[in-house]
Amino acid sequence: MRRTYVEAIVAAIAAEMRSDDRVFMIGQDIGRFGGPMSGSKGLFEEFGPRRIREAPISESAMVGSAIGAAMYGQRPIVEISFGEFLPLAMSQIVLQAANVHYMTAGEASVPVVIRSRLGDGPYRGHPQSYEAWFPHVPGLKVVMPAMARDAGRLMRAAIRDPNPVLFLENMQCYHAVREEVPDEDDPLPIGTARVVREGGSVTVVATGWLVHRALAAAERLVSDGISVEVIDVRCLAPLDLATIVRSLRKTSHLVIAHEAWKVGGFGAEISAQIAETALDALDAPIARVGAPGIPVPSARPLRERFIPNEDDVIAAIHKVMAY
Amino acid sequence: MPRLLTMYRWMWLARALERACAESNPRWFPIEGEEAAVVGTFYGLRPEDVIAPHYRGPFVTYLMRGVELDRLVGQVLGKVNGYTRGRAAAFSGPVGFNLIPWVAADLGTSLSVATGAALSIAYRRESGQADDRVVVVSFGDGTANRGDFHEAINLAAVWKLPIVYVCQNNQWAISQPLNSYIAGPLIAERAAGYGIPGTSTDGNDPVALNDVVLAAVTRARTGEGPSLIEARTYRLTGHWAEDVASYRSPDEVAIWQQRDPLALARGRLQETGHSEAELNEIERTAVADVAEAFRRVRELPDVGDAELGLDEVYAV
Repeated sequence: MRRTYVEAIVAAIAAEMRSDDRVFMIGQDIGRFGGPMSGSKGLFEEFGPRRIREAPISESAMVGSAIGAAMYGQRPIVEISFGEFLPLAMSQIVLQAANVHYMTAGEASVPVVIRSRLGDGPYRGHPQSYEAWFPHVPGLKVVMPAMARDAGRLMRAAIRDPNPVLFLENMQCYHAVREEVPDEDDPLPIGTARVVREGGSVTVVATGWLVHRALAAAERLVSDGISVEVIDVRCLAPLDLATIVRSLRKTSHLVIAHEAWKVGGFGAEISAQIAETALDALDAPIARVGAPGIPVPSARPLRERFIPNEDDVIAAIHKVMAY
Repeated sequence: MPRLLTMYRWMWLARALERACAESNPRWFPIEGEEAAVVGTFYGLRPEDVIAPHYRGPFVTYLMRGVELDRLVGQVLGKVNGYTRGRAAAFSGPVGFNLIPWVAADLGTSLSVATGAALSIAYRRESGQADDRVVVVSFGDGTANRGDFHEAINLAAVWKLPIVYVCQNNQWAISQPLNSYIAGPLIAERAAGYGIPGTSTDGNDPVALNDVVLAAVTRARTGEGPSLIEARTYRLTGHWAEDVASYRSPDEVAIWQQRDPLALARGRLQETGHSEAELNEIERTAVADVAEAFRRVRELPDVGDAELGLDEVYAV
């Protein structure tokens, strides 16, 4: 069945809830409303208020109570409507969820999924991309799919994982990205990147919406004779560096592209790790594509210039190829 | 054995243990003066009930459910036998005894995590499983102003979760007096805003406090939802072991020393016929047991690189 990115995520949650009664969801507007941007459409009708639990607007208590319930036998999914609200639960995520397993010397674990929505949002609302904060913290897994089927398969893996998983959904991908997603599907191991387009001249390592912009850029460069390999990182923690290095041994040129701000963005971590482990593979300096260092502007023309696009990716590719 | 006598034993063990901890670890947060508030809150629970004690004085609550003294002392001294293998704050405890561990040094987040343990119990009940466990969580008067206090209690009230919130109000948040952070008269009165019962009681009377807590526990056990209790007490020492507390008046401390919960309990036990010799023996045993434990544990190896656990961040 062809499903959109969000439909694949919802189908995966429903499948896991059918097979495991310990799985339940906490969030706002996830009942009859169907979730922000249809993010839980149909779940309330199938599973009812015991398992689709609408909570007060209390992000810290929502995440904290999911952590406690996870330590004491359940497998909650807590949904923070938009990434803009994640800072309200930051202490719970980075001090409690991330620490429990290690600090208890392995006695306890926190099998919780924290869903949230990043990237440019509906009607230009809630547009924050805070993913780079989380892989900095030991103990968290950070998943950020770009493709519909990967999103579904990674959600299945996140729910079954014994660790806290930040599941970061890109809102531009939500209804725009669609592909064949079977009803029954295997979980995708967390921590694997994917070569989504093969090429020989340059590697573009991208996340979320920029995977799709990079693919569009690659098509446009075919006529110039530039063969672009595109890697979808998929998981920021653990990071699959080996797939990136393998590609660089072939292309010798690296562009990193994400929707979030360039300074301190996850591209900086990838750059540093490549510089430490595979600098000899490169024939040119690394180029990064990311948003400029300003708060996210609201008006459409400003927003469209703010969000990195395929022209920005092409400019970065030309820069590294011309070195 | 009458309840007060048993509590007296626990209170003396708490005082002796915490004095030894404070001597060994300058960053220990001593319990002195608040023993009745702690023991009165956690006495009489079932082993399967989940507890989340405040960072001030949690060891005695762990011991009350069978945790090994030597292994707690090992945590204080940084020895290999500690339950947390040197990783968590020394005052954390083993989850296997149905408690919420101290994995963070902020205040308030553990209120929400404890609320989650109650959510897990409620979730089982809602699915038709027999589960009448409850959660008891305690915290300080300073923590009562954190957002998690409001968020957690409101969430528990809306979902009628089986949990009892106990504020161990010692009237000082490190160096700040109560009137610098609370304008209202009582923390317990906030309960009305959440639509749950709130009771403020004398935290230096362990029996009176325990009656109030156990009534709230029964309420939670029978599905009637959460309660908020305020145990009014006083911190006789500084905030941490080396804090001389020069910020408050000796007159105020002297007044509360007259209300030392151990002295009050001892007086009541003597009035009910317990001899001086019997009560002295309780005190002597507590001090000796703690000294013996410290002596044994000091001989154990310190935690080493093996406990660093570089590959043990994720559960597998």
